[in-house]
Amino acid sequence: MKSFAQKHQKIAKVIWNKPESHADFRIGLTCSSVYENALPGQFVTLHLPGNMTPLLRRPFSIHRLIKENKHVIGIEILYKVVGGFTEKLTRAITGDPIDLLGPIGNGFTVSKKFKKIALVGGGIGIAPLVFLADAITENGVCLSDSIACLGGRTSDDILCKSVFKSFDLTIRTTTDDGSEGEQGLVTRPLEKWITSHRPDMVYACGPMPMLRAVADIANKNELPCEISIETIMACGLGACLGCAVNKNKTTGKYQHVCIDGPVFDAKTHIF
Amino acid sequence: MRDRKFCVDIGGVDLKNPVMTASGTFGYGREFDELIDLNQLGGIIVKGLSLLPSPGNPPPRIIETPCGMLNAIGLENIGIEAFVNEKLSFLKNFSTPIFINIYGKTVDEYADLASRIDELDDVAGLEVNISCPNVKAGGIAFGVGCDAAAEVVESVRKRTSKPLMVKLSPNVTDIVEIAKSVEGAGADSISLINTITGMMIDIAKRRPVLANITGGLSGPAIKPVALRMVWQVAREVKIPVIGIGGIMNAEDAIAFLIAGATAVQVGTANFVNPRATIDIIEGIDSFMAKENLDQVGDLIGSIRI
Ligand SMILES: Cc1cc2nc3c(=O)[nH]c(=O)nc-3n(C[C@H](O)[C@H](O)[C@H](O)COP(=O)(O)OP(=O)(O)OC[C@H]3O[C@@H](n4cnc5c(N)ncnc54)[C@H](O)[C@@H]3O)c2cc1C
Ligand SMILES: Cc1cc2nc3c(=O)[nH]c(=O)nc-3n(C[C@H](O)[C@H](O)[C@H](O)COP(=O)(O)O)c2cc1C
Ligand code: FES
Repeated sequence: MKSFAQKHQKIAKVIWNKPESHADFRIGLTCSSVYENALPGQFVTLHLPGNMTPLLRRPFSIHRLIKENKHVIGIEILYKVVGGFTEKLTRAITGDPIDLLGPIGNGFTVSKKFKKIALVGGGIGIAPLVFLADAITENGVCLSDSIACLGGRTSDDILCKSVFKSFDLTIRTTTDDGSEGEQGLVTRPLEKWITSHRPDMVYACGPMPMLRAVADIANKNELPCEISIETIMACGLGACLGCAVNKNKTTGKYQHVCIDGPVFDAKTHIF
Repeated sequence: MRDRKFCVDIGGVDLKNPVMTASGTFGYGREFDELIDLNQLGGIIVKGLSLLPSPGNPPPRIIETPCGMLNAIGLENIGIEAFVNEKLSFLKNFSTPIFINIYGKTVDEYADLASRIDELDDVAGLEVNISCPNVKAGGIAFGVGCDAAAEVVESVRKRTSKPLMVKLSPNVTDIVEIAKSVEGAGADSISLINTITGMMIDIAKRRPVLANITGGLSGPAIKPVALRMVWQVAREVKIPVIGIGGIMNAEDAIAFLIAGATAVQVGTANFVNPRATIDIIEGIDSFMAKENLDQVGDLIGSIRI
């Protein structure tokens, strides 16, 4: 897992903000040049200027970099409407100001050594995996021997399927209600694929129970695995210590998602 | 800008302006270095330190509440020695006075911390957090009783000649009584308020939201309570009072100065906008210009009743 690019705070402008499915939106925001060095897996925090409700900044993964003439001019965020902040965010229109701080945290390890890769995304956890796939292919690794396992509650939660198709990788989808792909958990196609393909790296982002199951499978099969963890945050800067999650197996200390993560090694994380 | 007299004396420490950062909301300073110029701050109060490192409470530790937040970090910190070895060398590069916030489980722990800090030339003063549970008194906070509060302050006073700011808990019946007793015990200044104890319940699970069950409320929701307490205390003590609680912008800070605070500390606002302190300093300056005030002192305690 790589470390930090310099953080930057600025009032960004909305480039676009459009619905993706019934509860998901994608928003494009202008950003400074520090995002040239942003890593897949890193996140930003947003605030609606002048708003007291909700009060705290909200964390969101970088879904994609927006480039013009090879230069990063913006970032795109894929978000699910779940509460007060995300509800208000849907109302932002092109040109509106949004307080943007980032990039924050570490990122997924991207390496030419990883040729065969499993990407596992649950629900909105799919968001950072697109930036990851971009970074992997830009690094010269073709994803045609790799797999994306995408899971959700219903077919509406399976986001970015067509984007993943453009990377020419195998796609397996699962839903709780069977409305799309196989019915059941996303770990089932993963486990099947792993036994016949033995990937060089497993990357996962999604809800805690899914991450725990993916980590168990990877650890059991002795495969390297990086998981990206979500938790409630207050500062996103390492100042409040509110984002502590479970302890590290080696150090026995609480890990803080915004400083030590959001990407963690599945081997050292205690669930 | 700032040709007007902006500096204040808070019981033996001169601040270049009256805006400090509140303990636990600004890390050890470095966390904000990429985002703001630390030299512009009136003072930096670092995360509460104990003699030994403390792991803090299990998660979840925080939750947003209407116009505020509830936290039960459990005073997680790296301990005084790691602070001295790993953090202080960075902080001493700045012209801003550094205050170490301390807490202990026993009176002796407070006293030992004070002795250690007394040796540190790069530290301007101490802030004593008396809102923590006294292990020897069955976990009742030192700061809720006059005798226990005074005992802590006296023991710290004996071990250090550095300026002593004592931070009061609002979870008391009579804040003035506690303020007077810490003044009598040798405090050089009084800061208030710490967080107000609260809780949140997840009705679907019928469980408390925080793993610690209760937590401390901070943010705009507590500002009126804090203002009231600062006003009550400032009229009754002779030492400077530092106002804390829900200060989000310059207007909030100015209200505390008018109520009688000599300086303020900004807490939760740092999470919402890491530039909050700088914006507040600039906002106080513009207000003084608009009101034709020559010095901050003209605002302090200027409430008309
Ligand atoms: C590193 C990181 C990356 C993230 N990336 C994305 C992303 O790319 N897209 C996206 O849509 N969301 C992402 N999230 C989650 C996002 O931050 C929350 O959905 C958002 O803060 C909700 O705000 P709200 O005011 O709309 O809802 P709230 O009213 O705050 O919350 C609604 C419900 O969701 C729960 N909740 C809120 N935040 C979280 C969280 N972080 N983890 C678990 N439960 C939570 C609350 O307890 C509540 O029950 C990410 C979170 C983190 C920590
Ligand atoms: C996450 C968090 C951690 C805190 N940690 C400490 C601490 O270690 N020591 C202390 O004296 N006060 C601590 N406080 C209290 C603040 O310094 C301040 O008194 C309180 O939050 C009220 O101010 P505010 O409303 O501006 O945040 C903490 C507050 C928060 C929100
Ligand atoms: S969110 Fe504040 S320390 Fe991580």
